[in-house]
Amino acid sequence: MLYGLAAFVSLIGLADSIYLTVEHLSGRSVRCTIVSGCSEVLSSSYATVRGVPLAAIGAIAYFTAFSLATLAAFGYRGLGQVLIFIVSAMFLTTLWLLYLQAFVIRHFCQFCLLSALVSTTLTILVIVAHYQNRER
Amino acid sequence: MKRALPFVIIAAGLGAGLFMFLYFQRSTAETPSAPSASVASPSANTPSTADQAVPGAEPPHALGSAKAPVTLEEFGDFECPPCGMLHPVLKNLEGEFGPAKLRIIFREFPLVPTHVHALAAARAAEAAGLQGKFWEMHDMIFENQKDWHEAFDVRPIFEGYATKIGLNVEQFKRDNTGEIVEQRIFLDGKRAHSLGVKGTPTVFLNGREVPFESLAPDKLKALINSELAAHP
Repeated sequence: MLYGLAAFVSLIGLADSIYLTVEHLSGRSVRCTIVSGCSEVLSSSYATVRGVPLAAIGAIAYFTAFSLATLAAFGYRGLGQVLIFIVSAMFLTTLWLLYLQAFVIRHFCQFCLLSALVSTTLTILVIVAHYQNRER
Repeated sequence: MKRALPFVIIAAGLGAGLFMFLYFQRSTAETPSAPSASVASPSANTPSTADQAVPGAEPPHALGSAKAPVTLEEFGDFECPPCGMLHPVLKNLEGEFGPAKLRIIFREFPLVPTHVHALAAARAAEAAGLQGKFWEMHDMIFENQKDWHEAFDVRPIFEGYATKIGLNVEQFKRDNTGEIVEQRIFLDGKRAHSLGVKGTPTVFLNGREVPFESLAPDKLKALINSELAAHP
């Protein structure tokens, strides 16, 4: 049940990061706009890793989490630990990105904050699901 | 069948991801960023949208002849990093095409409150303009964007630039908070709003908006060349 919920939450993260990837690739978000701090965040040097948009890496991570959570929901044993490893890495990345937004770029992007919320929820769900399964 | 179900769900998730990518891409392309988004190659026959807008501060800050066949009008914010990146591109184009062929206009569009020092920078440039040195200050502010962007108080920095470019600093300080400067920024902003400008840099080439992705040096040069070919 909890793994199923984790798969669903991953899909929200996937949609969010796909949207950010499209915005990044279109160049729109690189332009400065009145509305939010997204332009500052997404046009910063932290928005890409060796030329690859961070949002695209996020989309791959969410899709991986979605696939593993789906398999775990159907009882594939051993995947729970791999999933914990992946979501923990995503959660640590989220903390780093929140730090960058708060103290380095000093602007918040609402889509990045949504991703932070999703990855935090995902981490909690996956850890609880893993320990629930172990107790059974 | 039951064994295949999770893989079917994963494949459906992948399909949903691809669908979302294409959907967002389409909606991004369809969102008009300004009155005319389909301006990949502005044509001489299409009526100019910028001509129908409110005029903005007069006279505008312009480089190049008023009779130049190509006019490039930029709405910029001195604190916006992409505007800082566009600055050397426009400088190169100015040198390459010369004042007889290309006219460059700069309009103030400080994004307040997103950029805390944008208005102060716009004021400094306009105040320098009152002493006939708008472009000198414009270049100075853009070229040193990284130096003042993080500063707490930018006034002494801009006053330093004023000294460097040979302005009467006392006059500059007075003009900075004066009504003429305020009015010019307000009028440029009014023009920007009438054109639907929402972000910076927004560039109009002979009155039609250049898509943001076409502001890359090669693309912009190709657009100017095609415009020159249309206006021999």
